[in-house]
Amino acid sequence: MADTNRKIQELLSDYAGALRDGCLPVFLKSLTREEGKELSSSKEFWEAAEVVRVLNGVGFADKAAIAEAGLFASRVDANIASRLKRAKSSPRVKRTNGARTMTKTRKVEKPI
Amino acid sequence: MEPFVRETFGIFIRYLYRYLGNEVECEDVLEDVYADIWENPSHLRDVESERQLLRTVYLYYMRKHLREVYRRMNRHLHLAQKDLMDLTAPELGLLDTLSQSELKQALGRAMGRLKARERRAIELWLEGMSVRAIANELKTTVGAVKMLKFRTILKLKEMMSEYCHDQ
Repeated sequence: MADTNRKIQELLSDYAGALRDGCLPVFLKSLTREEGKELSSSKEFWEAAEVVRVLNGVGFADKAAIAEAGLFASRVDANIASRLKRAKSSPRVKRTNGARTMTKTRKVEKPI
Repeated sequence: MEPFVRETFGIFIRYLYRYLGNEVECEDVLEDVYADIWENPSHLRDVESERQLLRTVYLYYMRKHLREVYRRMNRHLHLAQKDLMDLTAPELGLLDTLSQSELKQALGRAMGRLKARERRAIELWLEGMSVRAIANELKTTVGAVKMLKFRTILKLKEMMSEYCHDQ
């Protein structure tokens, strides 16, 4: 049977393409078990992958349609506000059952 | 928080772009990164340079979010967990710690030392051309372009590492 697994240079080329096009999951899913093993053992691949990331950053990050910082800051503010809200709505005190609460209430009640 | 976001947004998003290559995902991750920084800014207290800032933010705030993006995929993949992490959110190599301007400088110098054909292949790829289109342009086969690119990238790695050591 013909060996249909990709060679290291093909894997690197596909990895670079996927990174450039923003579809890394597609590349990851395309890997066969043998290709995964091949990647693991190839020092050259990992060295080249570092440069591919650099090329991606230098070559394409400036061309990407990046949001305006001011607009993005309001997204961050919303995220922080939602974290604050979540922190407030989840009380730190242990939940107690009704009976204990009743006892506490009875203690503070003034006799008539 | 807003002044900090305004000042660093461009730096961080370009840095994240190296790993994700996708603006939408970069912004989603970065949103959480800033919220984490707001919650616990202690790691950034002694930061003095852009390089140090990038390194600290990547190690303490970005990497865990990058990993989360891909972690849920792993059970469907033929990849060891470590290899998946190394592909998507690696340990910092020598080149990863350089700022955008330093990288541009290092890459520019290294590209200048390549052979004309090697440089052309990388330039065409950086213009966004597919491997097949590059093969047509260089009048060769797809396989030959992939091999040329692989060898050239390894050469670039060596040259850029030399540059880092010189610096």
